[in-house]
Amino acid sequence: MTSTGTRLQFDLDDDDVKLFCEEADEQLELLDNSLVQLEGEPDPDLVQQIFRAAHTLKGSSATIGHKKMASLTHAMETVLDAVRQGRKSPTSDVVDALLAALDALRVLAREVVTRIDSGTETARLQSDLLALLEETDAEAATVADDRPARRLPEAVTNAALAALHQGRSAFLVDVVFGDDCQLPSIRCFQVLQEMDALAEVAHTWPERAAIEAGGGEFALSAVLVGNTEEEHLHGALAAVSDIVQLQVRLLSAEEVEGPLQAAPAPAKAPPAEAGRPKLQVVDESAPAQAAGPARKAAQSVRIDVERLDGLMNLVGELVIDRTRLQQIREQLTPVLKDANLNELTDNFEETTAHLARVTDELQEEIMRSRMLPVRSVLTRLPRLVRDVASKCGKKVELLTAGEETELDRSVIEEISDPLVHILRNAVDHGIESPEERRAAGKPETGTVRVTAWNQETYIYLSVQDDGKGIDVDALRRKAVERGLVPKEVAEAATDEAVLQYIFFAGLSTAKVLSDVSGRGVGMDIVRTNIERLNGEIKVRSTRGKGSEFIIQLPLTLATTKALMVVAAGTVYALPLVSVTEALAEDDADIHSVNGRRTLRLRGRLLPVVDLARALGETRPRAIDASRFVVAAKHSDRQVAFLVDRLLGEQDVVVKSLGDLIGNRKGLTGATILGDGSLGLILDTASLVSEQAYPATA
Amino acid sequence: MATRTPEQTADTPVPTNQEQHVVIFRLADEYYALDIQAVQEIVRMQPITSIPGSDAWVEGITNLRGRVVPVIDLRRRCGVRDSEPTAETRIVVVSSPNGMVGLIVDAVSEVMRIPSEQVEPPSTIVSVPENTYLRGIAKLEDRLVSLMDLDGVLPSHGTVGLGDAAHELAA
Repeated sequence: MTSTGTRLQFDLDDDDVKLFCEEADEQLELLDNSLVQLEGEPDPDLVQQIFRAAHTLKGSSATIGHKKMASLTHAMETVLDAVRQGRKSPTSDVVDALLAALDALRVLAREVVTRIDSGTETARLQSDLLALLEETDAEAATVADDRPARRLPEAVTNAALAALHQGRSAFLVDVVFGDDCQLPSIRCFQVLQEMDALAEVAHTWPERAAIEAGGGEFALSAVLVGNTEEEHLHGALAAVSDIVQLQVRLLSAEEVEGPLQAAPAPAKAPPAEAGRPKLQVVDESAPAQAAGPARKAAQSVRIDVERLDGLMNLVGELVIDRTRLQQIREQLTPVLKDANLNELTDNFEETTAHLARVTDELQEEIMRSRMLPVRSVLTRLPRLVRDVASKCGKKVELLTAGEETELDRSVIEEISDPLVHILRNAVDHGIESPEERRAAGKPETGTVRVTAWNQETYIYLSVQDDGKGIDVDALRRKAVERGLVPKEVAEAATDEAVLQYIFFAGLSTAKVLSDVSGRGVGMDIVRTNIERLNGEIKVRSTRGKGSEFIIQLPLTLATTKALMVVAAGTVYALPLVSVTEALAEDDADIHSVNGRRTLRLRGRLLPVVDLARALGETRPRAIDASRFVVAAKHSDRQVAFLVDRLLGEQDVVVKSLGDLIGNRKGLTGATILGDGSLGLILDTASLVSEQAYPATA
Repeated sequence: MATRTPEQTADTPVPTNQEQHVVIFRLADEYYALDIQAVQEIVRMQPITSIPGSDAWVEGITNLRGRVVPVIDLRRRCGVRDSEPTAETRIVVVSSPNGMVGLIVDAVSEVMRIPSEQVEPPSTIVSVPENTYLRGIAKLEDRLVSLMDLDGVLPSHGTVGLGDAAHELAA
């Protein structure tokens, strides 16, 4: 037995590791999502999909020589096969054992990357799984087979098992020809030939020699081994005439070893209609494919993310050049006009305008190619909800919608954690216990809905629960008690405004809203993470009815729309999402309040802050220049920043400041300006929260 | 790139038949050398955007063909008095564990091979303790060249912003 920390050897190189991980992650995620649904409702398509995922994992782990992973997936496959054949119903015990095995698989799959033995114990998981099969359901056992069991000759069994171990697949093919088939022996031979072309034919009933000698009958069965797919085999064999029943089924190792159960055969071949053979194809793979969105076979190629990032960078440079070209055009046009070169001027304008348009489209296309459906985040949620709910002793149903909504992969990576936090809180603190719910006249099972949708250039994610809602008065009281909001302000604030206090640091939802201690995730951290993505989060809630958290996010993080300003000689980009207003200092309604300069804007009082000084700039600015005030918001707080000049709006490509500079206070990155110099992108969230007056009404 | 601390150099003399391939540059009237392996390219002085609140010797960031590269003023880093850029001023772009970094120098004079036997540990000549960025002095016929240790010159990750971090903690 290996012990923790031992170096592991696998039969694959670094490129293959990546491939292996991609595939394994895909299948694990599929299992994660679908295993939870398995419970109670054994939809045959779903069972088939799960079985396939386990089978694929087994194949790939066996190929690279990951013995522990292969034998664990093998045990899972065995149980799933019993479920698939109706010999075992998917009780919560079955699902629990499968989920436990799935958790172990995740760790085992990581070993391929780390090459260090994680010390994961699989023997017990395997015996737990196999023990489930000993108590085969009486109910399920009634599914009988009206055909004699078939066994493969031992030599064939061994060869097939060896092939399975190498990651190939075994299939059972059952073909029935119509009664009116004139030449069944020839059709049998045709099917045999088709099978030979697609895979290795391990064994046939009747035997190959008989078929080849013209002894084929109205039915033919075969076991194939190969690297092909069920649907592929199915498609090729269905082309043979006179077939009334065709079934291709993936075989597990158990089945290869044991008696082969045939597909439930029709009592007798369906009567042919008026001499016209009717093709009745029984296909179990097709519906699974149609039903399982994860298996959508769009025409696609896998592209390395790095390559996409590289493309995005190149387009970023093109965008910079486009801006630069527009500036040159503005300078050049009067000169060309003066020189009476009107035709040339027009040509030049047309060309630059076209280039600008094409560049925009190119940028958008590449941005879209980096987009992923939000499904990859949502599929992780059912498991989470199940776990949290069972820990808190609650009954919760999770409904998701809008899985197809696409957003940039960089956003997807960042949004997962905040979403998980919110969902956890919704189950833990939002949904009441079954008893409370019954008392309140609600169904015992609470509902949490996660919905994603697109609107303009944003995507929205909403987490809605039908729980007890947020106690606004408690929130108002706590906020005042902890000195986060002045009493008068809190009392004057609308309930909707008070609800947003939930995002303040120091006001944990857990402490305010329920007695479950130590489990509340600070909503302020959630908000900070979302705002770091130039996003926003809001909450709505009705006492007794439930709460809804709505996250708004930009489609991409690679570019952002910004207001460009100059302060102390440096160009800064203020993300437009945070800018509320920009006006000349002379026109602004500025007063001195308690010794601080304060802007009165639409009934609110904003501190006036010198942008350059807030950032720690020590260089003096030109004193004589008239200045501008830019109001920026962060959640419900606002600050008016004094800047020297406004340069207008621009799409900026976000670049990192680099590791040496690291994360600077008040800055999120740099961007290349039209003239090739660099501007700095402001982190308005941190600047505003640092400079703003405490929460204002 | 193999880097040695002065102590190691003193303890283990460099084998005699080796030579170091270096880029020699000038700061005021002193000559320094960097291992040519570390030098990516040498560019003329170009616009640099300063980062407010950063340490004095961090000149800012510059756009090197679409890449954002931090730039360090080597004069200030090495305690040589300030001066205005001249036509000879160059940015030596080096690769470091933290990515590419530009070093502003007064002039790049030449690329040459220095035989190891001409290099002495810095302690015998210079006794300034804070000179952690020197790993040896090469005695050439006409001048002395200080061999610069890049890891010593470049701060480790995150230390550039220490001033600010302290400020944030206090706030």
